[in-house]
Amino acid sequence: MGAYLSVPSWWRNLDGRYRLELGQCPDCGAHTFPAEGACVECNSTADFETVEPEGTGEVVAGTTITGGAPPEFADLQTQEGSFGVAVVELDEGARVPGMLTDCDPTTVERGDRVEAVVRRIYEQEGIVRYGVKFRPMD
Amino acid sequence: MRDAYLVGAAQTDFGAFPRESYRSLFSTAFEGAVDSVDGEFDRTEVDEAYVGTLGVGGRQLGLSGPAVTEFVGLDGASCTRVENACAASGTALRQATLAIRAGAADIAIAGGFEVMTDMSGDQTRYWLGVSGETEWERMSGTTFAGVYAQMADAHMAEHGTTREHLSRVAAKNHANGAKNPHAHLGFECSLEDAMNAPGVADPLNLYDCCPTSDGASVAILASEEAAEELTDTPIRVAGAGQASSRVGLFQRPTLTGIPATTDAAEQAYDEAGVEADDIDFAEVHDCFSIAELMAYEDLGFCEKGEAGPYITSGTTEPDGERPVNLSGGLKSKGHPIGATGGGQAVEVFKQLRGEAGDRQVSGLGRGLTHNVGGSGGAVAVHVFEEGWA
Repeated sequence: MGAYLSVPSWWRNLDGRYRLELGQCPDCGAHTFPAEGACVECNSTADFETVEPEGTGEVVAGTTITGGAPPEFADLQTQEGSFGVAVVELDEGARVPGMLTDCDPTTVERGDRVEAVVRRIYEQEGIVRYGVKFRPMD
Repeated sequence: MRDAYLVGAAQTDFGAFPRESYRSLFSTAFEGAVDSVDGEFDRTEVDEAYVGTLGVGGRQLGLSGPAVTEFVGLDGASCTRVENACAASGTALRQATLAIRAGAADIAIAGGFEVMTDMSGDQTRYWLGVSGETEWERMSGTTFAGVYAQMADAHMAEHGTTREHLSRVAAKNHANGAKNPHAHLGFECSLEDAMNAPGVADPLNLYDCCPTSDGASVAILASEEAAEELTDTPIRVAGAGQASSRVGLFQRPTLTGIPATTDAAEQAYDEAGVEADDIDFAEVHDCFSIAELMAYEDLGFCEKGEAGPYITSGTTEPDGERPVNLSGGLKSKGHPIGATGGGQAVEVFKQLRGEAGDRQVSGLGRGLTHNVGGSGGAVAVHVFEEGWA
């Protein structure tokens, strides 16, 4: 039993899932991820300007999940072992949570540069959900 | 403003109790709270009941408040179920306080319950994840331990906090919990054992994490007029603060603290007319070791970034200047989500009345409780003082 996100609720967020679309606040200029709700900087609810980021940034906090993974990621952990999860600060300023990929997660540290790549996230109700993970840059 | 007084409080044992139901647990806590009242307590005089639960397992998600109050003979009383994740019963405590202060109730109860140990591992992990930010944070693959691990990672990098600082929380709280007959994990744990436990979410290991528990807690609050009839040892709710913050860590302005703690504490201190330095002892929300260290800073017990040296100094040990988590905290006493905030009030009630048995510390006059929902989306902070206003 994993966290339940219906297919429509995944679909309505695809701009965020695939391209990390950000919302730029017209009042203070800060970027918010995902591009909805109130501005993370000033709480303004004025309509965001949507911005597509470069998809690059740096790790500001990270962990390697070695104990029990959430059920929707249990198969991944069984097949590939411990995986890394980071909070990434994009170069535009917004922070995004994301899984690390294509690396040994224990070697990734705060301050490391990463880039967004689209990967399989998990499968629910027979439908594979894709979205962004982060890969260390050389 | 009318004052609210804590005139009774009790908790069940916290632990794994497959023969108990959420109702029988609540009943045990409620009857214990009634017995703890000095005077003659008439349950038909309860005006308002606030019951905290997350509803882990989904057993009675709707009307889970009345489902327990009917069981203890409060049929007819206004009852509201409160959901604020792990801060549910701290929030219930504040609602009961506000109802009395507002004159809407003369007697109110605040409690909570949770049954967490009778499910499969998958079910437990599902339910533990429902209070994180679901759409994005959870889908990045993180657990609750993972989110706190990210905070620990940032705290270590920014402030030089160490493995040993984290493990000192476990060693201290287990030493305290070993003296608490209600504790789930009531055994001692050496600093060395805590430092060398198996990993869960780097840098956090097993001894950085609290257990999941079954249990219930109930506090009985009364207006001054009602309290005069019920108690000779009044404990006043001097301050009741509460705040919210972004549910997902990635949307908060800081990774190394919980802004809602600072905000809720400021309200509670203002109401009580005190400062952090005036707090004699505290029960803080140590769901993970880093959470207790951040609480020291966010509550103002020490400067930002100084939590590591602060715990090393011994200040928060039972014989220190400001004991923290004399009950054993969530780490040793246990963490039945909806009952935890109420359980903190039980410890403050007992310590201020000199009824804490082997773990009693003398000379305590003002205690604080700090109850966090999720990774900081909701926080309730209360200040309790011995004596009439």
